[in-house]
Amino acid sequence: MTALASPVAAPNAVARAVRVTLYVVVAVALYAVVLWRALVFNSELASGNSVVGALGAALSRTDDAAMTFLGQSLQQTVNALSIGAIYALIALGYTMVYGIIELINFAHGDIFMLGAFLSVVFLGGITGQTGSVTSIIPLILLLIGAMLFTMPIIGLLNVGIERAVYRPLRHAPRLAPLITAIGVSFILQNVALTLAGSGDRSSPQIFPLEWQIPFGGASVSVLSIFIFILSVGLMLSLQLFVNRSRLGRAMRATAQDQEASALMGVDLNQTISLTFLLGGMLAAAAGVVWGLRFGFVRFDLGFNSGLKAFTAAVLGGIGNITGATLGGFIIGFIENFAAALGFSRWSEFLVFMILTLVLIFRPTGILGQHSGDRA
Amino acid sequence: MKLHRLGALAAVSALAFAACSSSGASTAPSSGGGGGGDTSKGTVKIAVDLPFQGSEKATSDPILNGIRLAVKDAGGAVGGYAVTVPDSAVYDDSINGAHDPQTGANNMTKIVADPDVIADIGPVNSNVGKAQIPVSNAAGLLQCSPSNTSPGLTTGDAAAQLRTKPNNYIRVVTTDDVQGPAASQYIHDVLKKNSVYIIDDTETFGKGVADAFEADFKSRGGTVVKHDGAPKTTQDYVSIMTAAKALNPEAIYFGGVTATGGARILLAASQVGLGDVPYVGPDGINDGTGETKDSFLNLAGAAGKNAFSTLAGPGTFEKKDAFDAAYKAEYGTDATGYAGQGYACAQVVLDALKRAAATNPAKDALKEAVRVAGTDTTVKYDTIVGSISFDANGDTSQKIVSIYSVDTAAANGKGDWKFATQVDYAK
Repeated sequence: MTALASPVAAPNAVARAVRVTLYVVVAVALYAVVLWRALVFNSELASGNSVVGALGAALSRTDDAAMTFLGQSLQQTVNALSIGAIYALIALGYTMVYGIIELINFAHGDIFMLGAFLSVVFLGGITGQTGSVTSIIPLILLLIGAMLFTMPIIGLLNVGIERAVYRPLRHAPRLAPLITAIGVSFILQNVALTLAGSGDRSSPQIFPLEWQIPFGGASVSVLSIFIFILSVGLMLSLQLFVNRSRLGRAMRATAQDQEASALMGVDLNQTISLTFLLGGMLAAAAGVVWGLRFGFVRFDLGFNSGLKAFTAAVLGGIGNITGATLGGFIIGFIENFAAALGFSRWSEFLVFMILTLVLIFRPTGILGQHSGDRA
Repeated sequence: MKLHRLGALAAVSALAFAACSSSGASTAPSSGGGGGGDTSKGTVKIAVDLPFQGSEKATSDPILNGIRLAVKDAGGAVGGYAVTVPDSAVYDDSINGAHDPQTGANNMTKIVADPDVIADIGPVNSNVGKAQIPVSNAAGLLQCSPSNTSPGLTTGDAAAQLRTKPNNYIRVVTTDDVQGPAASQYIHDVLKKNSVYIIDDTETFGKGVADAFEADFKSRGGTVVKHDGAPKTTQDYVSIMTAAKALNPEAIYFGGVTATGGARILLAASQVGLGDVPYVGPDGINDGTGETKDSFLNLAGAAGKNAFSTLAGPGTFEKKDAFDAAYKAEYGTDATGYAGQGYACAQVVLDALKRAAATNPAKDALKEAVRVAGTDTTVKYDTIVGSISFDANGDTSQKIVSIYSVDTAAANGKGDWKFATQVDYAK
């Protein structure tokens, strides 16, 4: 696991990658199976069985009807992976900034929202797309174009905000930058409100939604798989960058001890700017895939998504990159589980109950470590 | 241009003659369209409180237009008073793009503090109404809602708790305990669908109308495959609709308004393959054509083709053609949603003012006189949407719910609501 604060890159990269991949596959498979049996249980309960009877059926039924639930479960698992990936991409920005300067950057959700809007500007405004693009090459070019357009702009915006607002407060009492971050969040929201109005703005869904892989009576959306793979690719690149590059080492050193790393010749300002750049770029990527998936953008989108992503970062252990990713997916899975079984009324309750439980028994989050005297 | 103006004038004056005069005080309207009436007693204001941000603007603009048209048609003067609806007395109860009860209550505090305001028209949303009634009731200000449909605002213990003084609240639309069933009757008996998936936005109005729908649909022998709820903060509607698809519903009922997810849920539904299933919602999604910015049909786009909606009032009425023509001439757009109900509320308020003025009250007693006149259960109002009276709770005698389908070719191919049928529950 990569805590930003760990000074050296873990050795044995290949073995570690294999192990992590294995964990991921097992966790996803486990979720799919649990959801599958829960769906069986739910349907037995709905058809008037007692709890005990439904439980028995959930453990034993393997007939055709039960198999159709497996198809649904896989479909929902893929849904969960795609929303989880979006949360995780945003959560990374929270956790990296916290890791470096111990600031909870409440404006980060709004950075994501602006990324989603910029994607609309590129796809709808500049390239004039309205519907889906079914030929592969133009689709890939458009997607790459949207990423290349939004990621640098949003990344630099995030750097600019740090430079203009957070840097002068770096040595101020901790509450000052926190409140400032909330202020920046309001400013960004109101900029979007002024420019785009207060309603939903539709985002061109250029990725064909009708691309589905049929599976056991249900079908799995190619878009969801694409979002998952793209996000995992970005997260792996980030891991590699942080663990393998010189600048990444500077980031880790700064996270561990700002003064000592400055004495060793690390350019603090440059390193912190780099962190904001990376966080902004990942949030922008999340914004692009958000538009593809849900087809709308709103000026206050960043508030709720930001809250969920922040929760993900805390759940996984704030300051820890692997933890933020894990937290994002866990929240995606919890929400999806509630939606799949038809009690989405309770999904926020579940998310925050699990957060509370984790924090009671593990105050630093799932993968968090005590940050010692830094905290 | 000239012809256009002439047509407008003709329509407006036709309306003015047809316009409100109560059988209680059946003198002729004090003035015709455009002419200056007797304003010797001074100027009074009708305050308006509606949500004007985001998708809600599409609902509120026609209502405000309807109110102003009614005042204009009355010549801007009633019973010796000049009546105005100035922009300074039009309040916005939305915040961050959606209606907000606390903002509504704050607005009402300002409205009752204005000595020139003799009545308030609004709000749109029932949870805002719930927050406002205690304030307007304590101040004894006549409040007429053009679109509140939650039954709890007027009947039962819930309503009694909102009031400390005699009733001041009336509404010209009927309630969700008929609006929900009307949709259920339409889905079950007309569209012939036997199973339905229900999702609401977990708010006062949305859940209330969805519950009323569910009870009626079950009583007709239909199957409710699932009733789920998703607050307006929900991120991922696709997973919820994936679960809905697995239950194979023949129709979807949404309880809520456009701003709390009406169009997003439909988009998610069509994304997972439920696009050909009828999608039925209450008046909260009947908010203008596909050309109206942020309206349900505008946001839903092509996915809106199988949508149906209800309005808790008549979709067609005797003077509808004249009203539509006058509205179009005045504002250049079609009268959509609750425009007629806004007009009717203003007619009721103006009529109450006329009867109150006949007793020549002192300036500071006028507000109370208007409240008493407006809530008088013996008066029959001849409004634009038909002849109505109010019971002791403030509910209208008119219990008509109309059903709309979507005409995809209308509004330059962007789609518009098309009146399908209406059911009269008073009979």
